[in-house]
Amino acid sequence: MTADFTRRAMLATTAALTMTLALTHASPAQADFPDRSITLVIPFAAGGSTDLVGRVVAERMSQDLGQQVIVQNVGGAGGSLGATQVAEAEPDGYTILMGTVATHALNPLILKQKPYDPVADFAPVSLLVLVPNVLAVHPDVPADTVQELIDLAKAEPLAYASSGNGTPLHLSGELFKSMAGVDITHIPYKGSGPALTDVLGKQVPIIFDNLPSASGHVSSGKLKALGVTTAERSPAFPDVPAIGETLPGYETYSWNALFAPAGTPPEVVTRLADAAKAAMADPKVAEQMATFSATIVASDPAALAEHVAAEMAKWEPVVKGANVSMD
Amino acid sequence: MTSPTTDRSEAIAGALLMLAAGFFAWQTMDLRIGTALRMGPGYFPAILSGILFLLGLLVFLKAFRSTATSEAMGAIAWRGLLFILPAPVFFGLTVRGLGFVPALFLTALIAAMASMRMKLHWALLLAFLVTLFSTLVFSYALGLPFRRFGPWLPF
Amino acid sequence: MEFLSNLALGFSVASSLENLTFCLIGVLLGTLIGVLPGIGATATIAMLLPITFQLEPVSSLIMLAGIYYGAQYGGSTTAILINMPGESSSAVTAIDGYQMARKGRAGIALAVAAIGSFFAGTVSTFLVALFAPLLTTVALKFGSAEYFSLMVLGLIMSVALAHGSVLKALAMVVLGLLLGMVGSDIYDGTPRFTMGITAYADGLNFVAVAVGVFGIAEILRNLEDEHDRQVLTSHVGRLWPTREDFRAIVGPVLRGTGLGSVLGILPGGGAILASFASYTVEKKLSKNPGEFGHGAIAGVAGPESANNAGAQTSFIPLLTLGIPANPVMALMIGAMIIQGIVPGPNVASEQPGLFWGIIASMWIGNLMLVVLNLPLIGLWVKLLKVPYFILFPIIMAMCSIGVYSVASNTWDLYAVAFFGLLGYVMGKLRFEPAPLLLGFVLGPLLEEHLRRALILSRGDAATFINRPISLTLLLLAVGVLVLVFLPAIRKSRDEVFTESEG
Repeated sequence: MTADFTRRAMLATTAALTMTLALTHASPAQADFPDRSITLVIPFAAGGSTDLVGRVVAERMSQDLGQQVIVQNVGGAGGSLGATQVAEAEPDGYTILMGTVATHALNPLILKQKPYDPVADFAPVSLLVLVPNVLAVHPDVPADTVQELIDLAKAEPLAYASSGNGTPLHLSGELFKSMAGVDITHIPYKGSGPALTDVLGKQVPIIFDNLPSASGHVSSGKLKALGVTTAERSPAFPDVPAIGETLPGYETYSWNALFAPAGTPPEVVTRLADAAKAAMADPKVAEQMATFSATIVASDPAALAEHVAAEMAKWEPVVKGANVSMD
Repeated sequence: MTSPTTDRSEAIAGALLMLAAGFFAWQTMDLRIGTALRMGPGYFPAILSGILFLLGLLVFLKAFRSTATSEAMGAIAWRGLLFILPAPVFFGLTVRGLGFVPALFLTALIAAMASMRMKLHWALLLAFLVTLFSTLVFSYALGLPFRRFGPWLPF
Repeated sequence: MEFLSNLALGFSVASSLENLTFCLIGVLLGTLIGVLPGIGATATIAMLLPITFQLEPVSSLIMLAGIYYGAQYGGSTTAILINMPGESSSAVTAIDGYQMARKGRAGIALAVAAIGSFFAGTVSTFLVALFAPLLTTVALKFGSAEYFSLMVLGLIMSVALAHGSVLKALAMVVLGLLLGMVGSDIYDGTPRFTMGITAYADGLNFVAVAVGVFGIAEILRNLEDEHDRQVLTSHVGRLWPTREDFRAIVGPVLRGTGLGSVLGILPGGGAILASFASYTVEKKLSKNPGEFGHGAIAGVAGPESANNAGAQTSFIPLLTLGIPANPVMALMIGAMIIQGIVPGPNVASEQPGLFWGIIASMWIGNLMLVVLNLPLIGLWVKLLKVPYFILFPIIMAMCSIGVYSVASNTWDLYAVAFFGLLGYVMGKLRFEPAPLLLGFVLGPLLEEHLRRALILSRGDAATFINRPISLTLLLLAVGVLVLVFLPAIRKSRDEVFTESEG
């Protein structure tokens, strides 16, 4: 397969223009979908966890579909720009979105002016992975369990760092506050990296972070993980309890899912979902997902539709309660 | 010793600064100011617009007591403004619809027209070569994710 | 000695034929994208990320690092030749480098930049190897209060960037700060100055602003009077610096290296300040500060060294903490994760071959760059002989692609046109673009850290004075302020005297 690609690339370079014309001239019959390259829009900057999941999946899906799946980063406005671009794209399956909990649950709830409708504007394809978040503290913080942290927060003013206002991590923190009945000052940062730096440097005691970005610091002891945000413990850190063990019902996670624009023919959606499923079944992909501490789901389109509805229902009271809104 | 004169370009500079400050101040009006210790989104911009206005005022006032010999503003590149500035705008408007190849060709062509030394046939050739080079390098070799020919084209 | 054995391990990893090849590919590619105006390293590395899945982790990281510093290197080439800085750091190089080019000293400027960068790269690589863990603890001492004080110091220094009116330079800094505010407020997400355009919610794109106020404005200036003005000197002069040139750059290179190495360690924008700070220092120390802005060789040598030293030491937080200092580093972290390496403090102990191999490859890459670029200088300089009316449409096309490739955001292209116009008008009114750009870069950081420091101290402004590092920085700022304004005050008093006499 790889050899095939190199040959094709060389061919393309030598006969650049003829090749392109030939490709674009091909008939758009759905039966032979895909007959040209597919653009996977990642609504965040390159290098983040969504970007990495997207690139790994795109690479593997290209093999299955026999056409290149090209990753395009359209970052900005918490993922809204990229999502809007796909919502407005031709519903032919050649432009698809790597959606997340932000684009398909939080942003539509937070934004006052809604640039797109997460349900009506998209055809769900497949829920790919769930990524746990983690509640961690600087090792000097005198709390070793979630309960001790709650007690500490009741006794003295504390602050927690997150990757930004309105992000899943911020809202994980807000949900924690409301369920534990404590007040902890939220300190937003521009991304996970700077937030982590300040917690490592003891500028801020607590952080809600994605498990993949915090895990190196947890295993080296520079951060003390008090709980993961998923309902069950993460296989990567079996000693770290789930927050839900202390606060029953507490459950948040980040997720990544593929969406096509609404109106994409069902056979095309199915073809994409099958390719995604095949990609996620690849042992090498599974191994890479394990380094992200991501749980593979690889659902069918209907299950993703239900998932989006459930997530929106779950987050609505949190968003309202935390009084987070953006124009 | 030259006696103080009015430096027209300095006066314009000061006036434009005050205008810019006014614009930012007007845009800040809708923002929550907050307090010095718990700043809202409008606090910092409000202070900065104030400072900018003061600086503009100083520049403006100094213009009337200028000791420096006023430099002529020189010619204005009308032709350049007319063709150079629209070039990236045109690329932005068409790169998705027409696709990378035609959008870039026309962008280079528009930019080329900014020089009066440029002849049309040379401009066409130049635009063609630039497009060929960029398509090979960026689209094929580096694999930038742009559609080469977009949905606006019939084929 | 542990240090020597570590370094030996690193060189044995980095000098394997395979890794040398990837290092070479990296720096070649980096140089190529660096010299194409507007094309940044981020887009390229993002494109190459999937290719690195197939490589050994150390090879892929060596290649990506090569692209990064190769691009930094190439970026100064465009800054010098066509006044088109692609990164915040080369904006400073453009000030005097482009003036040198206009005076037929492009070759010398390029050579000085190459030599300064190589020297700085060598020194800072050894610093990284020797002190990385120690320096990390220093970097972690920097909280928001310290960063705020550092930014204040940087802003005050920026006034020295001006070679004209200090008042107008200040106005440009403030305007830059305001332009930096465009986008969503990070504390509550309120959009500011976006005119309702969601595409600007994350702020204006640096490349768009820099390309506009420097590059496009310069093209417009060159098109003003095509009949009676030879745009670029076709006589290119000598390529190699003279003995006097060498003597003139020793101090600036040494000081630039020091400044860059220190500031590069700070993950929150320290590297941005390095080249600006070096320029300020050189101008202050120079015997003829009037030369600055008109092709001072120290104004190229110092900032270029600082910028490259900063680029190397900014790997420290990445390697020791797994924390990215800029988008390129974020991509490298991504490459590590994909390879199954969890970035964090354990990388050095668990993967010593990888850790030291990357450090050793940084030096090898710098050596390759200097060997590669010195002969290329002749070629670049020939580029100036290309008639301008052929050169600038090419530049416009490259800029359009480059700016669009950053985030596929068409509004960034409209911003290029707007800032081109702004830059042109500014030039007509004798405003300078460099202070504006510095304000633009520092503005968001200044506000972010000020507000965060105050939230963390629960509204106690004394936090800036109670924290020793912050206090030191603020005192330094006051010192610089006195140094900058004392001569200006004295001068204006002299003016008053001469006026009254006249």
